[in-house]
Amino acid sequence: MRLDRGLWGNLDWFLLALVLAICLLGLVNIYSTGFSLLHDKTSALFVRQSQWLLMGLCGMVIAFFLGYRFIASWAYVIYALSVILLVIVLFYGHTTHGSQRWINIAGFSFQPSEMVKLTMILALARYFNDHPSPRSYTLKELLPPLAICVLPLVLILRQPDLGTALMLLILFVSFIPVVGIRWRDLVTVTAVTAVLVPMGWFFLKDYQKERILTFINPYRDPLGSGYHIIQSMIAVGSGGVLGKGFLKGTQTQLKFLPEQQTDFIFSVFAEEWGFLGGVILLAMFTLLVVWGLRIALHSRDYLGTLVAYGITALIFWGAFINMGMVLGLLPVVGVPLPFFSYGGSAMVMLMTAVGILLNISTRRFILQS
Amino acid sequence: MKREATRYRRLRLASLLGLFLVLYIILITRALHLQVVSGQALKSLAVRQHTKIMEMPPERGLIFDRNGRKLAASVMADSVFADPSKIKNVQRAADELSRILGTDRDTILRKLGRGKNFCWLARLVPPEQAAQVEALKMDGVFVVKEPKRHYPNGELAGHILGFVGMDAVGLEGLERKYDQYLRGTPQRLVWARDAKGKRIYPRLEKAVVQGQGSYHIILTIDSRIQHLVETHLKEAVLDKGAKGGFAVVMDPRTGEILALANQPGFDPNRFAEGNPMKGKNRVVTDCYDPGSTFKPFVAAAALDARVAKETDRFYCENGHYAVGDRVIHEAQRKRHGTLTFKEIIKYSSNIGTVKIAERLGRERLYEYITKFGFGARTGIDLPGEIPGLLRHYRDWTRIDAATIAFGQGVSVTAIQLVTALSAIANNGILMKPFIIRAIVDGKGDIVREGRPTVVRRVISEQTARRMASILTAVVSDEDGTGKKARIENVNVAGKTGTSQKFDFARRAYSSEKVRTSFMGFFPAEAPQLAMLVVLDEPQRDRWGGVASAPVFKKIGEEILNCYRTDIREYQTAPLRETPNLGTLRFVAAGGPRGGDGDEADLSVAPDFRGLTIREALVKARDRDVNLKIVGHGWAISQDPPPGAALGIGRSCTVTFGTEAGS
Repeated sequence: MRLDRGLWGNLDWFLLALVLAICLLGLVNIYSTGFSLLHDKTSALFVRQSQWLLMGLCGMVIAFFLGYRFIASWAYVIYALSVILLVIVLFYGHTTHGSQRWINIAGFSFQPSEMVKLTMILALARYFNDHPSPRSYTLKELLPPLAICVLPLVLILRQPDLGTALMLLILFVSFIPVVGIRWRDLVTVTAVTAVLVPMGWFFLKDYQKERILTFINPYRDPLGSGYHIIQSMIAVGSGGVLGKGFLKGTQTQLKFLPEQQTDFIFSVFAEEWGFLGGVILLAMFTLLVVWGLRIALHSRDYLGTLVAYGITALIFWGAFINMGMVLGLLPVVGVPLPFFSYGGSAMVMLMTAVGILLNISTRRFILQS
Repeated sequence: MKREATRYRRLRLASLLGLFLVLYIILITRALHLQVVSGQALKSLAVRQHTKIMEMPPERGLIFDRNGRKLAASVMADSVFADPSKIKNVQRAADELSRILGTDRDTILRKLGRGKNFCWLARLVPPEQAAQVEALKMDGVFVVKEPKRHYPNGELAGHILGFVGMDAVGLEGLERKYDQYLRGTPQRLVWARDAKGKRIYPRLEKAVVQGQGSYHIILTIDSRIQHLVETHLKEAVLDKGAKGGFAVVMDPRTGEILALANQPGFDPNRFAEGNPMKGKNRVVTDCYDPGSTFKPFVAAAALDARVAKETDRFYCENGHYAVGDRVIHEAQRKRHGTLTFKEIIKYSSNIGTVKIAERLGRERLYEYITKFGFGARTGIDLPGEIPGLLRHYRDWTRIDAATIAFGQGVSVTAIQLVTALSAIANNGILMKPFIIRAIVDGKGDIVREGRPTVVRRVISEQTARRMASILTAVVSDEDGTGKKARIENVNVAGKTGTSQKFDFARRAYSSEKVRTSFMGFFPAEAPQLAMLVVLDEPQRDRWGGVASAPVFKKIGEEILNCYRTDIREYQTAPLRETPNLGTLRFVAAGGPRGGDGDEADLSVAPDFRGLTIREALVKARDRDVNLKIVGHGWAISQDPPPGAALGIGRSCTVTFGTEAGS
């Protein structure tokens, strides 16, 4: 690792500012979630999330200075480590809400499945970079990267955590249009998928089936499995155009909405800041995505392109799936909203990813590595 | 090759960007739909979820009589309730409570065993019981204060007032009919609550919707007259061994009900005891065949239609008059030869009345009967009024047409009868009877006022006076049927009546079971009171003149004794064609408060200044002035000023204000 003088001079201030803006907005929103009408004091959630953000910033700085090429050279090792952590979780992790996702490391509760999202992107990028194909891959050539994806995916499904598993699969699939696939094979895969997905129904757990049925009609069980999504839509809808104002979201403040600080954080935001706030937030994410793709495009090398694209896709899908779920467009799967949802692992992972993105963006101006 | 790869990459990333943007646009569309399009609906859903409305009802309004005497009030009483889940020893609790409350032990055990965390054990218990329960200091047993309706005068006007049930809802009578007013609009507190239903006090939705408070009702009833009527009616019912009875006193000029009584009496304080039918106000809810008391209306119709006059002679068939396949007799099998029109009413001849009706013809008879208000509700502001029974004349058989003339085959309510009589007393104008003088809010401002309402002119003024003269003869002549109703020094016009009850078992009119009645008004030359007294199935003195007329007389006499009136100071004046309205002023409304005692000049405006609205109303009433009220408080100024001549409308505008000392 060398400390280039150009690294500072060419820092992508826009990206940094945009990400920090989203983070601060998220922090404000977490404050509202933890804010209690009964005791007028700063909540533990807000303090903890601030700490997470600081830790994330550390991760970002470290990743930035390590550089993406250095990190990618260790990609398989990091990937392997994260998969091992997943295995450990299966045996020693502790359980929350019926799902075994956390392990304790040095007093911190830590969620390896969040980490895997980034390590898998790095591993995939490394693989595609090491095995380039001029135009497109055949199905057979895509099997090793598929394995990279499936290995943690299976482990995560065992936790069980459908949301994160789905996320990994989507990220893998997102890579394919960029690296290319033969048309013939694409058609084959699509056809097979179309046949297999309905059959997959029989392998789903009851609660997962319930989620899908509830998604189709939340009112079939308004007090049970439909409660969440109905409450979410009520909260969002009651926000109206301009919202109810900071700390004034009644559905949020009065805890009608469970899990509001994690997966349903967006409904809190939409209730208090209204349609206008939602649009502004989405606009910020759009800018981030456009910027990320721009970085991918202008990257100095193919590796940079792949890593930048992967990270951008990670942010994009996180935001899309989460908001879609809150708005009742998508079934309820546990996908946090990037930079917004409460949670340390995700925050540290995302900030690290942003550090890498910053590095890619900055390095394109530097000729030697 | 490198260049080509870059180009491809650019293309692919661009199309991916396009896909991403499309997906985000879908999100925005969805948010637009949720937050903007259906935002209001979801908002109200949210409001319903997180707010809880607590209603704090105001104290129930009071009911006053016309002089401001309280007829119904609310007091706080104790109720005992339990939270069974908090009771440690249910058996012991049941023992103790049944001992104190006097309730069956098993009943208490059953209530406690229902598995809810609230149950009433006893409502509105006497204070000493409540004190004993509190002394137990038992966990899970509580005593709370609840409003209880109290009727300070017991049975007085009980049938009019009705009663209020356990949960402060009017269930009968005026309490029911004007429940909305008396209950008033509650003050509403809106609380925020969380998902677990817990109330959240600060910050959110503290909106307090101020209630209107409750309204008080002022009746036209004069509780002193009411008391007289109830006392004498009860006495008569006991004396004659009657099943019951009812009486109404009305001011014929305005339609105000001054008293309305039913026997057996009914104490609304103890509504739960005894036969629920006891609370029925039979004056409006029951109809009966009026019998001879119906004859004056037939006679009035005949006079008004100019088919007969007082001196016309009718042959009364010596007590046997065949109509169709039926023979009509006189009451008590009397036999009358030829009677004049006037005598027919005086002696209450059935056959004579039938003949008068025959002259009139069934169409005109029907027309007049309906004009007098029979067969339709009077519209009095009491609940449960029925229209009575009057078939259309086209459906009358020949016998019907004959018997209706003497009050059989037609069914009327007491209120219809006294209202129709009042039309004769009131120069032929039918007034709508009313019992609500005013509904006032907490500040004393009138929100609704009962005003005298003219329904229609039934007969001409001339006819009315001629009829009054005939009816006076019924009472004043030595051989009149109503002579027992005579009041010294006052001209009383009246008519007796005995109606046989229809015996449904024998399908015939019974001569054993009768209603005997007397209706009348006085002073005949300028009537100020109309009254109807009906005794139901008296065992002794079945014939109206004997049983009911004295009740009328006693009540009438005592009213005259009790009230500041100059009626008796005058000699029984011969009936003049145009009685001097000014000299005879009977003050039912004013009582001790009204007027200033001296013989006032009625052509000029009295001095209202310094009076409250109610006092001014009384005074205006006293002087027959139409009062126009502006503002509230005490009278400050008036137009025309005191002592100035009143105009034709006899109206005076009085401005009220709240400045002290004005």
